[in-house]
Amino acid sequence: MSTFFQATLNGVLQGGLFALIAVGFSLVWGVMNVVNLAHGSFVVLGAYVAWELSNHAGIDPFLGMVGSAAALFALGYLIQRGLVNLVVNAPIFITLLLTFGLDLVLVQGMNIVFTGDFQAIRTSYASRGIGLPGGVQVPLGRLLTFAVAVAVTLALVALMGRTRTGLAIMATGMDRGAARLMGIRARHVYALTFGIAAGLAGAAGAMIGTVGTFHPADAARYTLISFVIAVLGGLGNMYGALAGGVVIGLAESWAGQYLSGTWSNAVAFAVLVVVLLVRPTGLIGRAFYEARQEA
Amino acid sequence: MRAAATARRAPGDGTGGGRYTRYGRYGPWAAGAAAVLAAIALQSQLYVGQERVVGSVFMFIVLAQGWNLIGGFAGYASFGQVVFFGLGGYTTAVLMAHARWPYWPALAVSGLVAAAFGALIGTPLLRLRGHYFAIATLGVAEGTREVVNNLTGLTGGGAGITVPTFGARATTAYLGEDGFYLLFLALAALALATAGLVTRSRFGLALRAIHQDEDAAASMGINTTRAKVSAFALSGLLGGLAGSAYTFQLVTVYPENMFDVSITVLMVIMVVIGGSGTLLGPLLGAVALQFISEWLRQSFTEAHTFILGAIIVVVVIVMPEGAVTYLREARRGRGFSPLANIRRYRL
Amino acid sequence: MSAILEVRGVGRRFGGLAALSAVSLAVAEGRTLGVIGPNGAGKSTLVNVVTGHLKPTSGRVLIDGRDLTGARPWTIAKAGVARTFQVVKPFRGMTVRENVMVAAVYGAGAGSRTTAAARRAADEVIERVGLAEHADRAPAELPVAVARRLELARALALRPRLLLLDEVLAGLRPAEIGPALELIRGLAADGMTIVIVEHVVRAIVAVSDEVLVLNEGKVLTSGPPDQVMSDPRVIEAYLGHRYAQRHLESGGGAGPVGGTS
Repeated sequence: MSTFFQATLNGVLQGGLFALIAVGFSLVWGVMNVVNLAHGSFVVLGAYVAWELSNHAGIDPFLGMVGSAAALFALGYLIQRGLVNLVVNAPIFITLLLTFGLDLVLVQGMNIVFTGDFQAIRTSYASRGIGLPGGVQVPLGRLLTFAVAVAVTLALVALMGRTRTGLAIMATGMDRGAARLMGIRARHVYALTFGIAAGLAGAAGAMIGTVGTFHPADAARYTLISFVIAVLGGLGNMYGALAGGVVIGLAESWAGQYLSGTWSNAVAFAVLVVVLLVRPTGLIGRAFYEARQEA
Repeated sequence: MRAAATARRAPGDGTGGGRYTRYGRYGPWAAGAAAVLAAIALQSQLYVGQERVVGSVFMFIVLAQGWNLIGGFAGYASFGQVVFFGLGGYTTAVLMAHARWPYWPALAVSGLVAAAFGALIGTPLLRLRGHYFAIATLGVAEGTREVVNNLTGLTGGGAGITVPTFGARATTAYLGEDGFYLLFLALAALALATAGLVTRSRFGLALRAIHQDEDAAASMGINTTRAKVSAFALSGLLGGLAGSAYTFQLVTVYPENMFDVSITVLMVIMVVIGGSGTLLGPLLGAVALQFISEWLRQSFTEAHTFILGAIIVVVVIVMPEGAVTYLREARRGRGFSPLANIRRYRL
Repeated sequence: MSAILEVRGVGRRFGGLAALSAVSLAVAEGRTLGVIGPNGAGKSTLVNVVTGHLKPTSGRVLIDGRDLTGARPWTIAKAGVARTFQVVKPFRGMTVRENVMVAAVYGAGAGSRTTAAARRAADEVIERVGLAEHADRAPAELPVAVARRLELARALALRPRLLLLDEVLAGLRPAEIGPALELIRGLAADGMTIVIVEHVVRAIVAVSDEVLVLNEGKVLTSGPPDQVMSDPRVIEAYLGHRYAQRHLESGGGAGPVGGTS
């Protein structure tokens, strides 16, 4: 029984991190109808930024994640402004290909600069555990990342609902034409959205680095996880991303505990395909008009 | 071949029979036959290494034409197309290694298995549109790879599976570089002929109508479900045949390389570079990209994917409609302006 | 009764909203039925249910006596029912002629077997609806009135026995409405069975043998045009209670026919 509780706990904690990975991806998809296949490489790049800050300046990763987020925000803003905005209205496989090309460039760039070796950000406290009755261990690092991930996601909800910038983003997502008529500059708003998404991915990467290992080839996995969670939670739905993250975290953790071999890798895909077939608009519904056509 | 490209959008396009009036009905077939003969003649001029590269170009012609049927004609961007390639390859490997089948029937069955799989998953998946379809197919491909990975008794799992090709255990003797060159050439010719027939048939017209407006197509009496599923199964057939030949050529295959998502992406980018929904686009795209990527691989061992990624980004922004479309417009005297293309899709 | 289209107690819900409830109607061969109603009355939902683009949540749809409730759109099209879309849906990559040829190839019965036959059939229809000068143009270049004629041409190329027109007059300038009505009247005179769903009330009255009024998803009333148009409930549904009272007090008997509403 305690293995079950341990697996459940691990799944929930991992799910919080998954949510932070996915929430930006979901936002970009919901607001501008772009599936960003380079999202996972933003996550890994964020991990490298925090890793460098920790190695060279001795900055704690929980502080370093701010640096990761800032760097990735800037990169994301520029990529959207300079590249993605040029094909935003093209058929979907064009944007898919563009972001896949970006992904190749980023992943291979990281391979060249940082090599393909596994890395981790070392702290004195992340691997400590808090014992619970029944032999269940709560790893401190994972608990902290969970708390930060949930806090950042909730902060994003507040940003979207309460600030001018957030409202401009949501309005543009609902109806770009109408938002433009109200004086919202869609180009800037899209770039901001993409920047925020990349920044959140960067922060998530910093945290992945403190509780586990990372290397450039992980990028694809994080993109796929983001996709599954975005579909589960509903596009652009931030609470949905939290719920979806926990669902996937639990599914993977339980599968890892109870299935043999590498079956657990297939769990996220199985969940994805089933959900798409049963409820194409996601489990929780979406934050944007259903009526808007997927081109 | 040129004839086919320019006649495609002529008035009266797409309704089967008598469309190539300007060039004669048999012009494209004659051009195709000439191209096949030229490719056979070329073979004797190639080194072994070059032969392999050209053979891989032929293979990608098959794959790109396959993707074009569902992605280009019907407008359903499949991002899991490699699943057919992998299934075809593994069907061949399993039939030859375990059931001791000779290669040729295994090739046929591999194509049919992939086509049947396409029909099976197509029926539910093709109800999804846009990104949802794209990623659901990706999920199916990744999931299938994991299944293959875990059915170790049948597939050997991550340790790979080896086709018996040499010595007394061989069910069919290894074809050698010359043999595979011809096999891939034959498959490429088959793929082109299939695409050509689809282009000029009622079926091709239905797919184009579905692409342009599915609701309107349905209310014109087109059974959209049947047309889409057929296109997906046909694209699966081509993918399965290519995977079967590739497996026999490599002898030992692994789930990671037979279900590699980058093979799907190569198909898509080839079609986009060449011109999606056209007959010659996938052909041009496969030739161009496969040669470029081989050259990059040999010239820049470390940075070649980096450069390939950059090329994809630039191509997609500068010519999202594909070379065939721009050539056609240039011939009509409209010229080619990268800025005009960017203006079309930018925010 | 030899109704080509019979709708029996059809309902359709979207979540908690009943877009249609217990709608029944019948159209006999060669007749024209006008369906009117204010915005959101369920007119387009009715067309979509009849043509298989939406499945009804209750009730039956019979075409030529065959129960085709919930059949897919292509089955309905093959059964001889053609429709136009309120928001035009041309095949954008094809010329006007090619658009019509698609319908000719896949239409009711066997369709046109050869390119030449499809082309002849398409050109005939194109001529009839007055699109000849636009035949080689791309749909994106067409003005609204012409784009609507293309919708009509494609529907006619199916050689239907029943034609459903979903707001074919919407977006047309007053000067364009007359010729469009002329065209519809001509089709009716040739014996075509037509259901015309419209917002332009005067237009409906001019071409319909019978009018049915939808309001909030229910049939408010139906009958000969004059009778329906002078029904106070219809005036009220269209223009609100206060206007209806004033209208009746002032002795206006002709109904809410002030043109486009």
